[in-house]
Amino acid sequence: MLELRINGFGGQGSVTLAHLLAQAALENGEQGQALPFFGVERRGAPVRAAVRMSPTTIHAHSQCELPDYVVVMSEKLIKAAVSEGITEIGTVIINAPHAVAVDKHPTWQLDADAIAREAGLFSADGPFINIPLFGAVCRVLNIPQNIMEQTIMNKWPGSGERNLGAAGKAYNTVTQISV
Amino acid sequence: MKAAQVIMDTGAHAAALAVKSARVDVVPGYPITPQTSIMEAVAAMVENGELNARFIPVEGEHSAMAAAVAASAAGARVFTATSANGLLYMHEVLHMASGGRLPVVMCNVNRGIFAPWTLWADHQDSFAQRDTGWIQYHCSSNQEVFNTILQAFRVAEQINIPIMVNFDGFAISHCLMPLTLPPQEDIDRFLPPHEPKWRLDPAHPSSFSNVTNAAEYAPFRQMLSDDIMASIPLVKQAAQEYKDITGMWDGDTIDTYLLEDAEVVAFAVNSMAAELRLSIDILREQGIKAGLLRPRLYLPFPAEDIINALPQNAQVMVLDRNYNFGHPGGILASELKSVLFGRRNDITVKNRVMGIGGIDLPRRFMAAEIRAMMDE
Repeated sequence: MLELRINGFGGQGSVTLAHLLAQAALENGEQGQALPFFGVERRGAPVRAAVRMSPTTIHAHSQCELPDYVVVMSEKLIKAAVSEGITEIGTVIINAPHAVAVDKHPTWQLDADAIAREAGLFSADGPFINIPLFGAVCRVLNIPQNIMEQTIMNKWPGSGERNLGAAGKAYNTVTQISV
Repeated sequence: MKAAQVIMDTGAHAAALAVKSARVDVVPGYPITPQTSIMEAVAAMVENGELNARFIPVEGEHSAMAAAVAASAAGARVFTATSANGLLYMHEVLHMASGGRLPVVMCNVNRGIFAPWTLWADHQDSFAQRDTGWIQYHCSSNQEVFNTILQAFRVAEQINIPIMVNFDGFAISHCLMPLTLPPQEDIDRFLPPHEPKWRLDPAHPSSFSNVTNAAEYAPFRQMLSDDIMASIPLVKQAAQEYKDITGMWDGDTIDTYLLEDAEVVAFAVNSMAAELRLSIDILREQGIKAGLLRPRLYLPFPAEDIINALPQNAQVMVLDRNYNFGHPGGILASELKSVLFGRRNDITVKNRVMGIGGIDLPRRFMAAEIRAMMDE
Protein backbone atom coordinates (compact mmCIF):
# COMPACT_ATOMS: atom_id res chain seq x y z
CA MET A 1 0.00 0.00 0.00
CA LEU A 2 1.32 3.39 -1.04
CA GLU A 3 0.56 6.27 1.34
CA LEU A 4 0.78 9.95 0.50
CA ARG A 5 -0.05 13.10 2.44
CA ILE A 6 -0.83 16.50 0.99
CA ASN A 7 0.10 19.52 3.12
CA GLY A 8 -1.32 22.80 1.90
CA PHE A 9 -3.23 25.94 2.82
CA GLY A 10 -7.04 26.13 2.82
CA GLY A 11 -8.18 27.27 -0.64
CA GLN A 12 -5.29 25.69 -2.60
CA GLY A 13 -7.41 22.73 -3.68
CA SER A 14 -5.90 19.94 -1.58
CA VAL A 15 -9.21 18.04 -1.36
CA THR A 16 -9.67 18.04 -5.14
CA LEU A 17 -6.04 16.97 -5.60
CA ALA A 18 -6.60 14.07 -3.16
CA HIS A 19 -9.80 13.06 -5.01
CA LEU A 20 -8.04 13.19 -8.40
CA LEU A 21 -5.18 10.98 -7.16
CA ALA A 22 -7.57 8.37 -5.68
CA GLN A 23 -9.54 8.37 -8.94
CA ALA A 24 -6.34 7.98 -10.95
CA ALA A 25 -5.51 4.89 -8.88
CA LEU A 26 -8.86 3.33 -9.78
CA GLU A 27 -8.38 4.34 -13.43
CA ASN A 28 -4.97 2.65 -13.24
CA GLY A 29 -6.55 -0.65 -12.13
CA GLU A 30 -5.82 -0.28 -8.40
CA GLN A 31 -7.81 0.66 -5.32
CA GLY A 32 -7.64 4.32 -4.27
CA GLN A 33 -8.61 6.29 -1.20
CA ALA A 34 -8.79 10.03 -0.51
CA LEU A 35 -9.25 11.01 3.12
CA PRO A 36 -9.06 14.77 3.61
CA PHE A 37 -8.78 16.02 7.15
CA PHE A 38 -11.69 18.40 7.72
CA GLY A 39 -10.97 20.89 10.45
CA VAL A 40 -12.81 24.04 11.27
CA GLU A 41 -12.27 25.29 7.72
CA ARG A 42 -10.48 28.58 7.26
CA ARG A 43 -9.07 29.89 4.01
CA GLY A 44 -5.31 30.19 4.37
CA ALA A 45 -4.95 27.89 7.38
CA PRO A 46 -2.77 24.76 7.07
CA VAL A 47 -4.76 21.74 5.80
CA ARG A 48 -3.88 18.16 4.98
CA ALA A 49 -5.29 15.19 3.12
CA ALA A 50 -4.36 11.50 3.00
CA VAL A 51 -4.22 9.45 -0.22
CA ARG A 52 -3.71 5.69 -0.45
CA MET A 53 -3.23 3.37 -3.43
CA SER A 54 -3.11 -0.39 -3.29
CA PRO A 55 -3.64 -3.40 -5.55
CA THR A 56 -5.88 -4.88 -2.79
CA THR A 57 -8.73 -3.58 -0.59
CA ILE A 58 -7.68 -0.61 1.56
CA HIS A 59 -8.63 -1.09 5.22
CA ALA A 60 -6.78 1.91 6.63
CA HIS A 61 -8.94 4.86 7.74
CA SER A 62 -6.44 6.91 9.73
CA GLN A 63 -4.65 10.02 8.52
CA CYS A 64 -1.28 9.09 6.98
CA GLU A 65 1.16 9.49 9.92
CA LEU A 66 4.17 7.99 8.12
CA PRO A 67 3.53 8.37 4.38
CA ASP A 68 5.87 7.28 1.59
CA TYR A 69 5.24 10.59 -0.21
CA VAL A 70 4.51 14.11 1.00
CA VAL A 71 3.15 16.74 -1.39
CA VAL A 72 3.96 20.26 -0.17
CA MET A 73 1.65 22.81 -1.81
CA SER A 74 3.70 25.81 -0.63
CA GLU A 75 7.37 26.36 0.13
CA LYS A 76 6.34 27.94 3.44
CA LEU A 77 5.08 24.54 4.63
CA ILE A 78 8.20 22.43 4.05
CA LYS A 79 9.40 22.23 7.65
CA ALA A 80 5.91 21.71 9.08
CA ALA A 81 5.03 19.07 6.46
CA VAL A 82 8.17 16.99 6.98
CA SER A 83 8.01 17.20 10.76
CA GLU A 84 4.41 15.95 10.67
CA GLY A 85 5.81 12.59 9.57
CA ILE A 86 7.29 10.81 6.55
CA THR A 87 9.13 7.49 6.21
CA GLU A 88 12.91 7.65 6.45
CA ILE A 89 13.32 7.28 2.69
CA GLY A 90 10.07 9.07 1.86
CA THR A 91 9.87 11.31 -1.20
CA VAL A 92 8.88 14.99 -1.08
CA ILE A 93 7.14 16.76 -3.98
CA ILE A 94 7.29 20.54 -3.63
CA ASN A 95 5.57 23.43 -5.35
CA ALA A 96 8.29 26.09 -5.47
CA PRO A 97 9.59 28.55 -8.09
CA HIS A 98 13.15 27.24 -7.68
CA ALA A 99 14.97 24.09 -6.62
CA VAL A 100 14.53 23.30 -2.92
CA ALA A 101 16.33 20.36 -1.32
CA VAL A 102 14.81 18.64 1.68
CA ASP A 103 17.39 17.14 3.99
CA LYS A 104 17.83 13.36 3.48
CA HIS A 105 14.70 12.98 1.34
CA PRO A 106 14.50 12.43 -2.41
CA THR A 107 12.81 15.59 -3.63
CA TRP A 108 10.92 16.64 -6.79
CA GLN A 109 10.21 20.27 -7.55
CA LEU A 110 7.64 21.99 -9.75
CA ASP A 111 6.63 25.64 -10.24
CA ALA A 112 2.91 24.89 -10.14
CA ASP A 113 1.96 28.58 -9.73
CA ALA A 114 3.67 29.54 -13.00
CA ILE A 115 2.22 26.58 -14.94
CA ALA A 116 -1.31 27.28 -13.68
CA ARG A 117 -1.10 31.01 -14.47
CA GLU A 118 0.37 30.36 -17.91
CA ALA A 119 -2.55 28.00 -18.66
CA GLY A 120 -5.05 30.61 -17.50
CA LEU A 121 -6.03 28.51 -14.50
CA PHE A 122 -6.51 31.13 -11.81
CA SER A 123 -9.12 33.19 -10.04
CA ALA A 124 -8.93 36.34 -7.91
CA ASP A 125 -7.85 34.04 -5.03
CA GLY A 126 -4.81 32.75 -6.90
CA PRO A 127 -3.70 30.03 -9.34
CA PHE A 128 -5.29 26.55 -9.35
CA ILE A 129 -2.05 24.79 -8.44
CA ASN A 130 -3.73 21.45 -7.71
CA ILE A 131 -4.03 20.70 -11.45
CA PRO A 132 -0.29 20.92 -12.29
CA LEU A 133 0.52 19.18 -9.00
CA PHE A 134 -1.79 16.33 -10.01
CA GLY A 135 0.24 15.91 -13.22
CA ALA A 136 3.51 16.08 -11.30
CA VAL A 137 2.49 13.53 -8.66
CA CYS A 138 1.27 11.11 -11.35
CA ARG A 139 4.69 11.38 -13.00
CA VAL A 140 6.55 10.75 -9.72
CA LEU A 141 4.29 7.75 -8.92
CA ASN A 142 4.81 6.39 -12.48
CA ILE A 143 1.10 6.60 -13.30
CA PRO A 144 0.95 6.67 -17.13
CA GLN A 145 0.18 10.06 -18.69
CA ASN A 146 -2.90 8.73 -20.50
CA ILE A 147 -4.36 7.51 -17.17
CA MET A 148 -3.69 10.98 -15.71
CA GLU A 149 -5.45 12.60 -18.69
CA GLN A 150 -8.40 10.19 -18.58
CA THR A 151 -8.91 11.00 -14.88
CA ILE A 152 -9.13 14.73 -15.68
CA MET A 153 -11.52 14.11 -18.57
CA ASN A 154 -13.75 11.96 -16.35
CA LYS A 155 -13.78 14.65 -13.67
CA TRP A 156 -14.58 17.56 -16.02
CA PRO A 157 -16.13 16.01 -19.14
CA GLY A 158 -15.86 18.25 -22.17
CA SER A 159 -14.19 21.20 -20.44
CA GLY A 160 -10.81 19.92 -19.40
CA GLU A 161 -8.54 21.35 -22.10
CA ARG A 162 -6.66 23.92 -20.04
CA ASN A 163 -6.48 21.41 -17.18
CA LEU A 164 -5.04 18.80 -19.55
CA GLY A 165 -2.47 21.28 -20.85
CA ALA A 166 -1.30 22.35 -17.40
CA ALA A 167 -1.22 18.82 -15.97
CA GLY A 168 0.62 17.54 -19.05
CA LYS A 169 3.24 20.29 -18.83
CA ALA A 170 3.77 19.50 -15.14
CA TYR A 171 3.96 15.76 -15.90
CA ASN A 172 6.82 16.41 -18.30
CA THR A 173 8.72 19.13 -16.42
CA VAL A 174 8.63 18.10 -12.75
CA THR A 175 12.29 17.81 -11.80
CA GLN A 176 14.12 15.50 -9.46
CA ILE A 177 16.58 17.48 -7.35
CA SER A 178 19.90 15.73 -6.89
CA VAL A 179 20.63 15.06 -3.23
CA MET B 1 -27.65 -10.02 -16.50
CA LYS B 2 -26.24 -6.55 -15.86
CA ALA B 3 -22.86 -6.26 -14.17
CA ALA B 4 -22.18 -4.34 -10.99
CA GLN B 5 -20.80 -0.83 -11.44
CA VAL B 6 -17.72 0.46 -9.56
CA ILE B 7 -17.61 4.18 -8.76
CA MET B 8 -15.54 6.39 -6.47
CA ASP B 9 -17.58 8.08 -3.78
CA THR B 10 -17.70 9.03 -0.11
CA GLY B 11 -19.33 7.06 2.72
CA ALA B 12 -22.06 9.70 3.02
CA HIS B 13 -22.87 9.38 -0.69
CA ALA B 14 -22.77 5.57 -0.37
CA ALA B 15 -25.59 5.98 2.18
CA ALA B 16 -27.55 8.26 -0.16
CA LEU B 17 -27.12 5.81 -3.06
CA ALA B 18 -28.42 2.98 -0.84
CA VAL B 19 -31.47 5.11 0.01
CA LYS B 20 -32.09 5.53 -3.72
CA SER B 21 -31.59 1.81 -4.40
CA ALA B 22 -34.00 0.96 -1.55
CA ARG B 23 -36.69 3.04 -3.30
CA VAL B 24 -37.44 4.93 -0.10
CA ASP B 25 -40.78 6.82 -0.05
CA VAL B 26 -40.27 9.54 2.58
CA VAL B 27 -37.13 11.30 3.88
CA PRO B 28 -37.53 13.88 6.66
CA GLY B 29 -34.22 15.65 7.16
CA TYR B 30 -32.42 18.22 9.24
CA PRO B 31 -28.72 19.02 8.70
CA ILE B 32 -25.94 18.35 11.20
CA THR B 33 -22.23 17.82 10.53
CA PRO B 34 -20.99 15.28 9.41
CA GLN B 35 -24.30 13.77 8.34
CA THR B 36 -25.36 16.74 6.18
CA SER B 37 -23.81 15.36 2.98
CA ILE B 38 -26.24 12.41 3.11
CA MET B 39 -29.27 14.69 3.28
CA GLU B 40 -27.88 17.03 0.60
CA ALA B 41 -27.38 14.10 -1.77
CA VAL B 42 -30.82 12.60 -1.06
CA ALA B 43 -32.52 16.01 -1.45
CA ALA B 44 -30.76 16.46 -4.81
CA MET B 45 -31.93 13.01 -5.96
CA VAL B 46 -35.53 13.88 -5.06
CA GLU B 47 -35.20 17.30 -6.76
CA ASN B 48 -33.83 15.92 -10.04
CA GLY B 49 -36.29 13.02 -10.13
CA GLU B 50 -33.77 10.19 -9.60
CA LEU B 51 -35.62 9.19 -6.42
CA ASN B 52 -39.40 9.24 -6.35
CA ALA B 53 -39.75 10.24 -2.70
CA ARG B 54 -41.11 13.04 -0.55
CA PHE B 55 -38.33 15.06 1.11
CA ILE B 56 -39.58 16.88 4.23
CA PRO B 57 -37.29 19.65 5.50
CA VAL B 58 -38.02 20.13 9.20
CA GLU B 59 -36.87 22.57 11.90
CA GLY B 60 -34.97 20.10 14.11
CA GLU B 61 -34.17 16.45 14.75
CA HIS B 62 -37.07 15.92 17.19
CA SER B 63 -39.40 16.84 14.32
CA ALA B 64 -37.39 14.79 11.81
CA MET B 65 -38.02 11.64 13.84
CA ALA B 66 -41.65 12.65 14.51
CA ALA B 67 -42.21 13.00 10.74
CA ALA B 68 -40.44 9.66 10.19
CA VAL B 69 -42.73 7.98 12.74
CA ALA B 70 -45.86 9.46 11.15
CA ALA B 71 -44.83 8.56 7.59
CA SER B 72 -43.89 5.03 8.66
CA ALA B 73 -47.25 4.65 10.44
CA ALA B 74 -48.89 5.65 7.15
CA GLY B 75 -47.12 2.70 5.51
CA ALA B 76 -44.20 4.47 3.80
CA ARG B 77 -40.62 3.21 3.61
CA VAL B 78 -38.82 5.94 5.60
CA PHE B 79 -35.18 7.01 5.97
CA THR B 80 -33.51 9.80 7.88
CA ALA B 81 -30.01 10.56 9.13
CA THR B 82 -28.40 12.40 11.99
CA SER B 83 -25.29 12.72 14.18
CA ALA B 84 -24.31 13.30 17.82
CA ASN B 85 -26.51 15.95 19.47
CA GLY B 86 -29.09 15.60 16.71
CA LEU B 87 -29.49 11.96 17.73
CA LEU B 88 -29.72 12.96 21.39
CA TYR B 89 -32.42 15.51 20.54
CA MET B 90 -34.42 12.67 18.90
CA HIS B 91 -34.11 10.43 21.93
CA GLU B 92 -37.74 10.65 23.10
CA VAL B 93 -39.14 10.02 19.63
CA LEU B 94 -36.79 7.06 19.07
CA HIS B 95 -38.85 5.29 21.74
CA MET B 96 -42.04 6.14 19.84
CA ALA B 97 -40.65 4.51 16.68
CA SER B 98 -39.63 1.29 18.45
CA GLY B 99 -42.66 1.11 20.77
CA GLY B 100 -44.90 1.83 17.78
CA ARG B 101 -43.13 -1.02 15.94
CA LEU B 102 -42.31 1.21 12.97
CA PRO B 103 -39.53 -0.02 10.63
CA VAL B 104 -37.74 3.32 10.11
CA VAL B 105 -34.10 3.07 9.02
CA MET B 106 -31.76 5.86 10.11
CA CYS B 107 -28.07 6.53 9.61
CA ASN B 108 -26.24 7.96 12.56
CA VAL B 109 -22.89 9.32 11.45
CA ASN B 110 -20.93 8.94 14.69
CA ARG B 111 -19.60 12.18 16.20
CA GLY B 112 -18.52 13.07 19.72
CA ILE B 113 -21.09 14.72 21.97
CA PHE B 114 -21.32 18.38 23.10
CA ALA B 115 -19.99 19.80 25.51
CA PRO B 116 -17.41 20.88 24.52
CA TRP B 117 -18.15 20.87 20.79
CA THR B 118 -16.29 18.45 18.58
CA LEU B 119 -16.94 17.58 14.95
CA TRP B 120 -15.13 14.26 14.82
CA ALA B 121 -15.97 10.66 15.54
CA ASP B 122 -16.43 8.72 18.70
CA HIS B 123 -19.17 6.28 19.65
CA GLN B 124 -20.81 7.95 22.65
CA ASP B 125 -23.81 9.09 20.58
CA SER B 126 -25.00 5.71 19.28
CA PHE B 127 -24.18 3.72 22.41
CA ALA B 128 -26.14 6.27 24.46
CA GLN B 129 -29.26 5.09 22.56
CA ARG B 130 -28.80 1.51 23.75
CA ASP B 131 -32.09 1.40 25.67
CA THR B 132 -34.36 2.93 23.04
CA GLY B 133 -35.43 -0.42 21.54
CA TRP B 134 -33.66 0.18 18.20
CA ILE B 135 -31.53 -2.44 16.50
CA GLN B 136 -28.03 -1.02 15.84
CA TYR B 137 -25.48 -1.93 13.20
CA HIS B 138 -21.97 -0.40 13.19
CA CYS B 139 -20.13 -0.31 9.84
CA SER B 140 -16.42 -0.20 9.09
CA SER B 141 -16.28 0.68 5.37
CA ASN B 142 -18.06 2.75 2.71
CA GLN B 143 -19.21 -0.44 1.00
CA GLU B 144 -20.56 -1.85 4.24
CA VAL B 145 -22.61 1.33 4.76
CA PHE B 146 -24.26 0.82 1.37
CA ASN B 147 -24.81 -2.91 1.92
CA THR B 148 -26.07 -2.52 5.50
CA ILE B 149 -28.74 0.09 4.74
CA LEU B 150 -30.34 -2.38 2.29
CA GLN B 151 -30.07 -5.24 4.79
CA ALA B 152 -31.47 -2.98 7.52
CA PHE B 153 -34.64 -2.13 5.56
CA ARG B 154 -35.24 -5.82 4.98
CA VAL B 155 -34.79 -6.83 8.61
CA ALA B 156 -36.70 -3.81 9.99
CA GLU B 157 -39.71 -4.51 7.79
CA GLN B 158 -39.68 -8.25 8.59
CA ILE B 159 -39.82 -7.70 12.34
CA ASN B 160 -41.28 -4.15 12.65
CA ILE B 161 -38.40 -2.68 14.61
CA PRO B 162 -36.50 0.48 13.61
CA ILE B 163 -32.80 0.13 12.78
CA MET B 164 -29.91 2.55 13.22
CA VAL B 165 -26.96 2.16 10.82
CA ASN B 166 -23.89 3.79 12.39
CA PHE B 167 -20.57 4.75 10.83
CA ASP B 168 -17.79 7.18 11.67
CA GLY B 169 -17.95 10.82 10.73
CA PHE B 170 -15.20 11.94 8.29
CA ALA B 171 -13.12 8.73 8.50
CA ILE B 172 -15.93 7.04 6.53
CA SER B 173 -18.48 9.77 5.71
CA HIS B 174 -15.97 12.01 3.90
CA CYS B 175 -13.56 9.30 2.72
CA LEU B 176 -13.57 8.75 -1.06
CA MET B 177 -13.19 5.07 -1.97
CA PRO B 178 -14.32 2.59 -4.61
CA LEU B 179 -17.95 1.57 -4.20
CA THR B 180 -19.60 -1.36 -5.97
CA LEU B 181 -23.22 -0.75 -6.96
CA PRO B 182 -25.08 -3.98 -7.72
CA PRO B 183 -27.61 -3.86 -10.59
CA GLN B 184 -30.95 -2.41 -9.43
CA GLU B 185 -32.82 -5.60 -10.37
CA ASP B 186 -30.62 -7.56 -7.93
CA ILE B 187 -31.38 -5.07 -5.16
CA ASP B 188 -35.11 -5.24 -5.96
CA ARG B 189 -34.90 -9.02 -5.67
CA PHE B 190 -33.19 -8.71 -2.27
CA LEU B 191 -35.47 -5.95 -0.96
CA PRO B 192 -39.07 -6.30 -2.16
CA PRO B 193 -41.51 -3.35 -1.74
CA HIS B 194 -42.62 -2.59 1.82
CA GLU B 195 -45.99 -4.14 2.58
CA PRO B 196 -46.92 -3.17 6.14
CA LYS B 197 -49.34 -5.44 8.01
CA TRP B 198 -51.07 -2.32 9.33
CA ARG B 199 -51.10 1.36 8.43
CA LEU B 200 -52.85 4.62 9.29
CA ASP B 201 -55.41 5.14 6.55
CA PRO B 202 -57.96 8.01 6.48
CA ALA B 203 -60.42 5.72 4.62
CA HIS B 204 -60.36 3.29 7.56
CA PRO B 205 -59.86 5.50 10.62
CA SER B 206 -58.01 3.99 13.57
CA SER B 207 -55.54 5.16 16.20
CA PHE B 208 -52.44 3.68 17.78
CA SER B 209 -50.26 4.10 20.84
CA ASN B 210 -53.16 5.00 23.14
CA VAL B 211 -52.90 5.01 26.93
CA THR B 212 -52.69 1.42 28.11
CA ASN B 213 -53.23 -0.30 31.44
CA ALA B 214 -50.28 -2.17 32.88
CA ALA B 215 -51.85 -5.45 31.78
CA GLU B 216 -51.71 -4.22 28.17
CA TYR B 217 -48.48 -2.19 28.41
CA ALA B 218 -46.31 -4.97 29.88
CA PRO B 219 -46.96 -7.50 27.07
CA PHE B 220 -46.10 -4.82 24.47
CA ARG B 221 -42.74 -4.24 26.15
CA GLN B 222 -42.11 -7.97 26.50
CA MET B 223 -42.86 -8.49 22.81
CA LEU B 224 -40.44 -5.72 21.84
CA SER B 225 -37.72 -7.27 23.99
CA ASP B 226 -38.37 -10.76 22.58
CA ASP B 227 -38.49 -9.55 18.98
CA ILE B 228 -35.22 -7.62 19.28
CA MET B 229 -33.58 -10.90 20.31
CA ALA B 230 -35.43 -12.70 17.50
CA SER B 231 -33.89 -10.33 14.94
CA ILE B 232 -30.52 -12.14 15.12
CA PRO B 233 -31.45 -14.97 12.71
CA LEU B 234 -33.02 -12.40 10.38
CA VAL B 235 -29.80 -10.34 10.40
CA LYS B 236 -27.83 -13.46 9.49
CA GLN B 237 -30.30 -14.46 6.78
CA ALA B 238 -30.20 -10.94 5.29
CA ALA B 239 -26.37 -10.95 5.21
CA GLN B 240 -26.30 -14.43 3.62
CA GLU B 241 -28.92 -13.70 0.96
CA TYR B 242 -27.29 -10.35 0.17
CA LYS B 243 -24.06 -12.26 -0.39
CA ASP B 244 -25.81 -14.86 -2.54
CA ILE B 245 -27.27 -12.12 -4.75
CA THR B 246 -24.43 -9.55 -4.85
CA GLY B 247 -21.35 -11.55 -3.85
CA MET B 248 -20.54 -9.03 -1.11
CA TRP B 249 -20.01 -9.95 2.54
CA ASP B 250 -19.21 -7.76 5.56
CA GLY B 251 -19.90 -10.37 8.22
CA ASP B 252 -23.34 -10.97 9.76
CA THR B 253 -23.73 -10.27 13.48
CA ILE B 254 -19.93 -10.28 13.78
CA ASP B 255 -16.98 -9.97 11.43
CA THR B 256 -13.64 -11.67 12.15
CA TYR B 257 -10.04 -11.57 10.88
CA LEU B 258 -7.42 -14.26 11.65
CA LEU B 259 -9.45 -15.23 14.71
CA GLU B 260 -9.31 -19.06 14.65
CA ASP B 261 -5.81 -19.51 16.17
CA ALA B 262 -5.62 -16.13 17.93
CA GLU B 263 -4.29 -15.84 21.46
CA VAL B 264 -4.79 -12.06 21.51
CA VAL B 265 -8.08 -10.73 20.14
CA ALA B 266 -8.77 -7.06 19.32
CA PHE B 267 -12.43 -6.16 19.87
CA ALA B 268 -13.76 -2.88 18.43
CA VAL B 269 -16.36 -1.36 16.08
CA ASN B 270 -16.48 1.03 13.10
CA SER B 271 -13.57 2.40 11.08
CA MET B 272 -10.99 1.67 13.79
CA ALA B 273 -11.88 -2.01 13.41
CA ALA B 274 -10.98 -1.81 9.71
CA GLU B 275 -7.63 -0.20 10.56
CA LEU B 276 -7.13 -2.90 13.23
CA ARG B 277 -6.74 -5.52 10.49
CA LEU B 278 -3.46 -3.79 9.65
CA SER B 279 -2.50 -3.70 13.36
CA ILE B 280 -3.16 -7.45 13.49
CA ASP B 281 -0.81 -7.91 10.52
CA ILE B 282 1.89 -5.91 12.38
CA LEU B 283 1.43 -8.03 15.53
CA ARG B 284 1.55 -11.26 13.49
CA GLU B 285 4.85 -10.09 11.94
CA GLN B 286 6.12 -9.66 15.50
CA GLY B 287 5.22 -13.29 16.22
CA ILE B 288 2.07 -12.57 18.23
CA LYS B 289 -0.95 -14.69 17.35
CA ALA B 290 -3.38 -11.79 17.07
CA GLY B 291 -6.89 -11.69 15.58
CA LEU B 292 -9.92 -9.42 15.34
CA LEU B 293 -13.53 -9.76 16.41
CA ARG B 294 -15.72 -6.88 15.27
CA PRO B 295 -19.36 -6.86 16.42
CA ARG B 296 -21.25 -5.59 13.39
CA LEU B 297 -24.41 -5.71 15.47
CA TYR B 298 -24.19 -3.74 18.71
CA LEU B 299 -27.85 -4.24 19.56
CA PRO B 300 -28.95 -6.96 20.04
CA PHE B 301 -25.45 -7.70 21.33
CA PRO B 302 -24.54 -10.95 19.51
CA ALA B 303 -23.71 -12.88 22.68
CA GLU B 304 -23.90 -16.44 21.33
CA ASP B 305 -21.85 -15.68 18.20
CA ILE B 306 -19.15 -13.97 20.29
CA ILE B 307 -19.08 -16.80 22.84
CA ASN B 308 -18.75 -19.37 20.04
CA ALA B 309 -16.14 -17.44 18.04
CA LEU B 310 -13.59 -16.62 20.76
CA PRO B 311 -10.66 -19.08 20.82
CA GLN B 312 -9.85 -20.95 24.05
CA ASN B 313 -7.98 -18.91 26.70
CA ALA B 314 -7.85 -15.79 24.52
CA GLN B 315 -6.93 -12.38 25.92
CA VAL B 316 -9.52 -9.96 24.51
CA MET B 317 -8.35 -6.36 24.12
CA VAL B 318 -11.44 -4.18 23.95
CA LEU B 319 -10.67 -0.82 22.32
CA ASP B 320 -13.53 1.51 23.22
CA ARG B 321 -14.07 4.85 21.47
CA ASN B 322 -16.46 5.96 24.22
CA TYR B 323 -16.70 6.21 28.00
CA ASN B 324 -18.81 4.09 30.32
CA PHE B 325 -19.20 6.90 32.87
CA GLY B 326 -19.20 5.58 36.42
CA HIS B 327 -16.96 2.69 35.37
CA PRO B 328 -13.23 2.79 34.64
CA GLY B 329 -13.38 1.88 30.93
CA GLY B 330 -15.70 1.84 27.93
CA ILE B 331 -19.15 0.47 27.08
CA LEU B 332 -18.14 -2.39 24.75
CA ALA B 333 -15.94 -3.92 27.46
CA SER B 334 -18.83 -3.83 29.90
CA GLU B 335 -21.19 -5.46 27.37
CA LEU B 336 -18.62 -8.13 26.55
CA LYS B 337 -17.90 -8.99 30.19
CA SER B 338 -21.62 -9.37 30.91
CA VAL B 339 -22.08 -11.97 28.15
CA LEU B 340 -18.89 -13.90 29.02
CA PHE B 341 -19.65 -14.09 32.76
CA GLY B 342 -20.31 -17.69 33.74
CA ARG B 343 -20.06 -18.83 30.11
CA ARG B 344 -16.40 -18.37 29.16
CA ASN B 345 -14.30 -18.21 32.31
CA ASP B 346 -11.20 -19.00 30.23
CA ILE B 347 -11.29 -15.54 28.59
CA THR B 348 -9.42 -12.49 29.96
CA VAL B 349 -10.88 -9.08 29.07
CA LYS B 350 -8.69 -5.97 29.03
CA ASN B 351 -9.88 -2.53 28.04
CA ARG B 352 -8.63 0.88 26.88
CA VAL B 353 -10.49 4.00 25.84
CA MET B 354 -8.98 5.76 22.80
CA GLY B 355 -9.77 7.89 19.76
CA ILE B 356 -12.19 10.17 21.62
CA GLY B 357 -13.40 13.15 19.56
CA GLY B 358 -11.68 11.85 16.45
CA ILE B 359 -8.15 11.43 17.78
CA ASP B 360 -6.42 9.56 14.96
CA LEU B 361 -5.97 5.79 15.45
CA PRO B 362 -3.18 4.65 13.10
CA ARG B 363 -2.36 0.94 12.79
CA ARG B 364 1.05 1.24 14.48
CA PHE B 365 -0.42 3.05 17.48
CA MET B 366 -3.14 0.44 18.04
CA ALA B 367 -0.67 -2.43 17.61
CA ALA B 368 1.56 -0.82 20.26
CA GLU B 369 -1.43 -0.34 22.59
CA ILE B 370 -2.37 -4.00 22.25
CA ARG B 371 1.23 -5.05 23.01
CA ALA B 372 1.25 -2.86 26.10
CA MET B 373 -2.08 -4.31 27.25
CA MET B 374 -0.61 -7.84 27.00
CA ASP B 375 1.81 -6.97 29.81
CA GLU B 376 -0.81 -5.49 32.11
